[in-house]
Amino acid sequence: MLFPTLAFGVFFLFVYFTAWSLDRENGRRKIFLLLASWFFYAQWDWRFVGLLIASAVLNWGVAALIASSDSPGRRKWLVALGVALNLIILGFFKYYGFFVEQAVELLNQFGWERDAPLLQIVLPIGISFFTFQGISYVVDVHRGKTPPARSLVDVMLLMSFFPHLVAGPIVRASDLLPQFDRVPRLTREMAALGLLLIAWGLFKKTVIASELAVRLVDPVFFDPSAYGALDIAAATYGYAVQIYCDFSAYSDMAIGLAALLGYSFPRNFDQPYRAGSMQQFWRRWHISLSSWLRDYLYVPLGGGRKGLVSSCINIMITMLLGGLWHGAAWTFIAWGALHGAVQAVERVWRHFREGKAGLPHWLGVIVTFHIVCLGWILFRAESFDLAMQMLEGLTRMAPIMVLTPFLLALIIGGIAMHWLPPRAVEGLAVRVKEAPAITMGVLVGIMILLVEAMRPEGVAPFIYFQF
Amino acid sequence: MDPNEPKDPDEPAPFPAGAHDPFPPRGAELAPEVPTSAPDPEPDDRNDWIQSADAHDLPTREPRLKTLGRYAFPPEPPLDEEGEAARDRRWTSRTVIFATLFLLVFNSVSIQSWARQQEPGWITATVQQLSDVWTAQISQLGADQPREGVREAYETARDQRFPGQPDAPPPT
Repeated sequence: MLFPTLAFGVFFLFVYFTAWSLDRENGRRKIFLLLASWFFYAQWDWRFVGLLIASAVLNWGVAALIASSDSPGRRKWLVALGVALNLIILGFFKYYGFFVEQAVELLNQFGWERDAPLLQIVLPIGISFFTFQGISYVVDVHRGKTPPARSLVDVMLLMSFFPHLVAGPIVRASDLLPQFDRVPRLTREMAALGLLLIAWGLFKKTVIASELAVRLVDPVFFDPSAYGALDIAAATYGYAVQIYCDFSAYSDMAIGLAALLGYSFPRNFDQPYRAGSMQQFWRRWHISLSSWLRDYLYVPLGGGRKGLVSSCINIMITMLLGGLWHGAAWTFIAWGALHGAVQAVERVWRHFREGKAGLPHWLGVIVTFHIVCLGWILFRAESFDLAMQMLEGLTRMAPIMVLTPFLLALIIGGIAMHWLPPRAVEGLAVRVKEAPAITMGVLVGIMILLVEAMRPEGVAPFIYFQF
Repeated sequence: MDPNEPKDPDEPAPFPAGAHDPFPPRGAELAPEVPTSAPDPEPDDRNDWIQSADAHDLPTREPRLKTLGRYAFPPEPPLDEEGEAARDRRWTSRTVIFATLFLLVFNSVSIQSWARQQEPGWITATVQQLSDVWTAQISQLGADQPREGVREAYETARDQRFPGQPDAPPPT
């Protein structure tokens, strides 16, 4: 059940009205939201609802044991156990096949040919997100940053809450658990922001991202050798816009849906393509993941506390694992390596040129954007061969085949939206919140009608569902 | 030198005092202004039931209908937090309902096409028949025209090609 579908719309209307009819009974309200979330998840594969429940029970139990233990050594063992169990779940479903294949290839090179225990494992949707949430909960309880949840229901709802369940943002326990303590308060501003974010997200996903994917990016990345430099460059820029509009649309809609139910999620994107360096880019792109990697991987590795070399090694490890988090493929690891290497170079550059003038900001933005686009080629291509074909094609002169004025306008518009006033939607919400309900309802209706009139038939799954 | 000593009338005075001074007098020497108008009259006694108002600036009598309205429908006391929350929830729910109704009228085609894409079954068949009837009725009123107009304009823009460019291949 995808967000931009009629089925989800009907589902959400039911959840919205039922949840607010239980506004005096927080416990029942949470149980209802939990059941609704499991129903939502079961639309993909009902068997994995059990995995979701097991994962929540595991994290709740480990966190409760940590909280009740007075021995620092025992607490350390328990947190290690909790993290390891989460990683085992993630590793089995997501990386088992990849690592077995790599091991078999390696052994074959040494002449040791054996039948490998290959399994066709179905990847549970959103597993990367809910296991990372579980890890952050256990670690935060161990660090004392968040108290253990009051009940198992809270942890289950934290990990299963349907707006963020399948593609984030990765909402931490310290953000969401306190909101579960009482029936949330819905203000007009929250509601207006939620409705506007949903409409804006629908537009970005179903119009911009879908059109670019279907008419430009997919054909060119499928067979780059059939296209010339202009089409390939357009497809690369188009993919940069597509992935931003696709993923940020999901985040916007998730934040908007949660807001309509009275809950506040953290911001996940902040105009990433206007970043003047790769470090800035990661402060603006998928913020919930980058801050997760910083707090639970980069800082525990030592961060930047042990000098420049250590800092560069740590950022490299963090980005490599960040790449692997996106998928079990060498192209994702190469993508992470590129981002890590560029950030390491930036650190060395800053270290040796401290106090001296750096690149002008506008030049930094252009350079960063093109490095990010280079990374997107690795990210999108099915294999290294196709990625290399894309790069080779950038020098091949041929007539334009698939790029049209409309697609060019979508690309330019998708990049230009990064220079809208920051927090533009929030500002608009403040302005429209005073409007009468009928005016606001018609306004939202018109926005959705425009999107519906423009969108292509059907809707592709969100890109980040596969992660 | 004795100041009482008689002066020689031919001796030129170093600072002639009797001559006309070309400069205007200094501020402190300015003559006091002559009032050009009569002094302000003493203010009237303030009205004793509206402390901050001057009786001359207010109508002497409130319209009777308004007075009656104030007594008949006294203003509600300000809402407490729970009251404000309930009011905001009502506003949101009404907004959602109005948006849904608006889309049911102007975007009924979406329900029809969604129903046609579902696997056949009792529920989907029922929804499909209902949506077919609803869409047909609504289109007779012309409520489908805005969506169709936007769609046509959008498709025209989407299918534009650069000069000399061959037609687009079908989308994948």
